[in-house]
Amino acid sequence: MPSFAKDPVSDPARTAALRSAELTRFQAQVDADAEVLGELLDDSLEYTHSNGELDTKKSFIESLTTGRRDYVATTPDILSIRINGDIGIIRGKAKVTVADNGQSRDLDLGYVDVWVWKDGRWRMTTWLSARYPGPAAQVPAPPSAPTVR
Amino acid sequence: MPVTRTLSILLVALGVATCAWAAPRGDEASARAAILERFAAAQRNDVAALDRMLADDLDYCTVRGVCQTKQEYLGRLKSGAMKYQSIDPVVDRAKLFADSAVISGRATVTATRDGVTQSIRFSFVGVLAWRDDRWVLTTWSATPLEGAS
Repeated sequence: MPSFAKDPVSDPARTAALRSAELTRFQAQVDADAEVLGELLDDSLEYTHSNGELDTKKSFIESLTTGRRDYVATTPDILSIRINGDIGIIRGKAKVTVADNGQSRDLDLGYVDVWVWKDGRWRMTTWLSARYPGPAAQVPAPPSAPTVR
Repeated sequence: MPVTRTLSILLVALGVATCAWAAPRGDEASARAAILERFAAAQRNDVAALDRMLADDLDYCTVRGVCQTKQEYLGRLKSGAMKYQSIDPVVDRAKLFADSAVISGRATVTATRDGVTQSIRFSFVGVLAWRDDRWVLTTWSATPLEGAS
């Protein structure tokens, strides 16, 4: 029986594992940890930034390890997790401080990402984010949301 | 000849049984087509067609990062608060999973929102689920392409 045959909706452990993988990924991006990202990002990754720029797994990790893109801090807030067979879909928002080529910006993002369950673990295959309009104060982070630095 | 006829019947029966066992599931072409049909229905402001194409648990996240339910999205079309004028979509990539497909692409949309007509070019990700022998859209997210006309 393939690993995805078990209904993950009734498998809280797999949902918890996805939530944990998501938070670990945010931390790894702040840390520019290529090893952890290499494990959490699927080779098929398409990472669409909020300006429409598209990265592959290789180009995304390189942008972090070379310092071309620097996630200074991230406060993620997972709003929902939905699992359908072998994929998991996370919808969330994040307050992100990012330095691109030396310029620092604060972004309030809404995002959707898709993870695939492979070989007993989750890997992110798709990310797309959009910026909320207006000042950052319009989208306050909940008190419980961890800030990843 | 009776033997030949018997063999023919057996082969036909085997073929039917094989088709029934290999339950037809959407392939990449049908997933791409489903996304384009969704765009076409939106351009026609065809709420009845969209109602069939959208999952009841749809998460529809706009280029502004705001997410709507199926009822909210269709409600704005029904009321005329949102009216599509033209849509020019391109499907760039499709990833097929066990019961899902993740489609990404770009589109230029001209629409009238709350009386204001605007054109916007954006990247999108749509997640389709294979339910009741057809694809339905369960998640939609889009982000503007900066610098685009």
